[in-house]
Amino acid sequence: MIGKRLSAWLLRRETLLSGCTVALMFAAWWFVTATGLANKLFLPAPGAVWDAFVKAVVKGYQGNTLQMHVGISLLRILTAFAAAVLVGVPLGILMGLSRDARALLNPVIEFYRPLPPLGLYTLLVMWLGIGEESKFALLFLAGLPGVIIATQQAIWNIDPIYARAAKALGAGPWQLLRHVYLPAAGPMILAGMRISLGFIYTVLVAAEIVAATAGIGWMIWDAAKFLLSDVVIMGLIVLGLTGVALDWLMRMIGRALMPWTKREEH
Amino acid sequence: MKTFLTTLAVTAGLAFSVTAEEGPEKVTVGYLNLVNAQLVTKNLGLMSKHMPGVEIEYIKVGGGGDMLRAIAADQIDFGGLGNPPTAIGVARGLPIQGTMVLNMLDFVEAMVVRTDVGIKSFKDLEGKTIAAPFGSTTHYLLLQALADEGIDPAEMKILDLRPNDIAVAWSRGDVDAAWFWEPNLDKAVKDGGNIFMTSGIMEKRGYPTWDVGIVMNEFAEAYPDYVEKFVAAECEGIEFWISNPAKTAEIIAEELELTLEDATRMMRGTEMVPCEKQLTDQYIGTSEARGGFVDTLMATSEFLVSQDRLPEAPSRETFESFLQPQYLEAVVE
Repeated sequence: MIGKRLSAWLLRRETLLSGCTVALMFAAWWFVTATGLANKLFLPAPGAVWDAFVKAVVKGYQGNTLQMHVGISLLRILTAFAAAVLVGVPLGILMGLSRDARALLNPVIEFYRPLPPLGLYTLLVMWLGIGEESKFALLFLAGLPGVIIATQQAIWNIDPIYARAAKALGAGPWQLLRHVYLPAAGPMILAGMRISLGFIYTVLVAAEIVAATAGIGWMIWDAAKFLLSDVVIMGLIVLGLTGVALDWLMRMIGRALMPWTKREEH
Repeated sequence: MKTFLTTLAVTAGLAFSVTAEEGPEKVTVGYLNLVNAQLVTKNLGLMSKHMPGVEIEYIKVGGGGDMLRAIAADQIDFGGLGNPPTAIGVARGLPIQGTMVLNMLDFVEAMVVRTDVGIKSFKDLEGKTIAAPFGSTTHYLLLQALADEGIDPAEMKILDLRPNDIAVAWSRGDVDAAWFWEPNLDKAVKDGGNIFMTSGIMEKRGYPTWDVGIVMNEFAEAYPDYVEKFVAAECEGIEFWISNPAKTAEIIAEELELTLEDATRMMRGTEMVPCEKQLTDQYIGTSEARGGFVDTLMATSEFLVSQDRLPEAPSRETFESFLQPQYLEAVVE
């Protein structure tokens, strides 16, 4: 059953096309390094990057194996993301339902949202120190606006007639939330969550620059300092792949929780 | 697309119209944020004096790791590097050559320890939090000192922080000790710290640290006479430092926003080597026989290999051809 579905997936037009892109990128990479077109210092050959990967998995990089570096970073990312969702969704609902709440909270969110993470980070380090607190705060703040804005917009977009109909049938506020707002706003909230996770990823290296001794972002930064470009590229690929995997996981969870949004593939 | 191609053609034309005789339009100097005569050269405008009509841009760089990145990204023409980043850069094949001694590091780089933590020996560092900019001279000396004392660095928490971040972390009480350099070092000393070890003491133990002036190969090939002009300007700065200490202290105080007293003390912690002395076997050496800097670079790279920071140590010849004394020789004559 699974094998059949897998082979069906592998033969789909989209899968084949995406596969072509990946294969083409690898071929181009291999070509420019094998022919000496690219400087080895900036773009090491695929083989060298693979060796760096194996070495980091087996021997580790500066005291931790690659698995531990990835694990530590994922822990940082997921705790910050969970906190951003737990805070962002209720705030977004509140702001979507009440003009007053929106007026009160908007200035704060709109002000810090476009600030460059490194500028913000300097301040966070001064306030919270060089430990995990400032890293968590930076990742959390990076993820929060995406969730709030998407949730607020999703709630705002719901046709008021649904809420009125439910109220007319005697629904209380919790029932409204559970049976009207969340199901209707769910898909858009999920989209916001996916964007927010992406933002958290983009600031990971920045968060791990200051006084980290482990983490995939730190590994990339540290290796760059010693001009170990094979480790840098390997780290970026691993970071990218974990991002793709997390995003896929979220889409799967979304489908399981909200089967009504599932569009038929054919 | 067409305009893009035109722009490209125009830019290429511009690049070729500048010949070696005419000299570069602009020279970018990356200087390390520390106390040495480069600040004098910068403040007195000596670079412009030796290169009239050329735009001089100075970029302040926090430490060796950042300087390596600036070199790799081709963002500077001239720069300065301590011996560990030099060993890394040369081993990784960066297109650079060493031209002169910028400074020898004495107590301008030191390990400060929090007085109330009671660190009396390297052994006392176990279980403590120590900061140093990774890849720099002081990170190298810290690991070297621990290795000599037979202490496992894993027994303590060694954090990678830039000098100004160390100052912030220190004032918050996040670190117990830090090995870094002026002008930020002084902030930690004044804020409940005392000096436990200096780079000068490590030099007497056989681990000299220094900063060497480097130039990008591409620039040196295109404008060798401008490399001489750079060296001449820096030599003039060094001469000024040695013969006018009081005026130099004023310049350092102005450049780094320090009090005169602090600037004077920090100056004493940096040893400037007169240019003719740089050609002796203790330092760069001559075109015929390179000096002691090659030994330091060899020892440094072997240590970095043992720390798993370098895949392999370059050969002696690689370091010998990295050091190019001919510009210095031309200036001293």
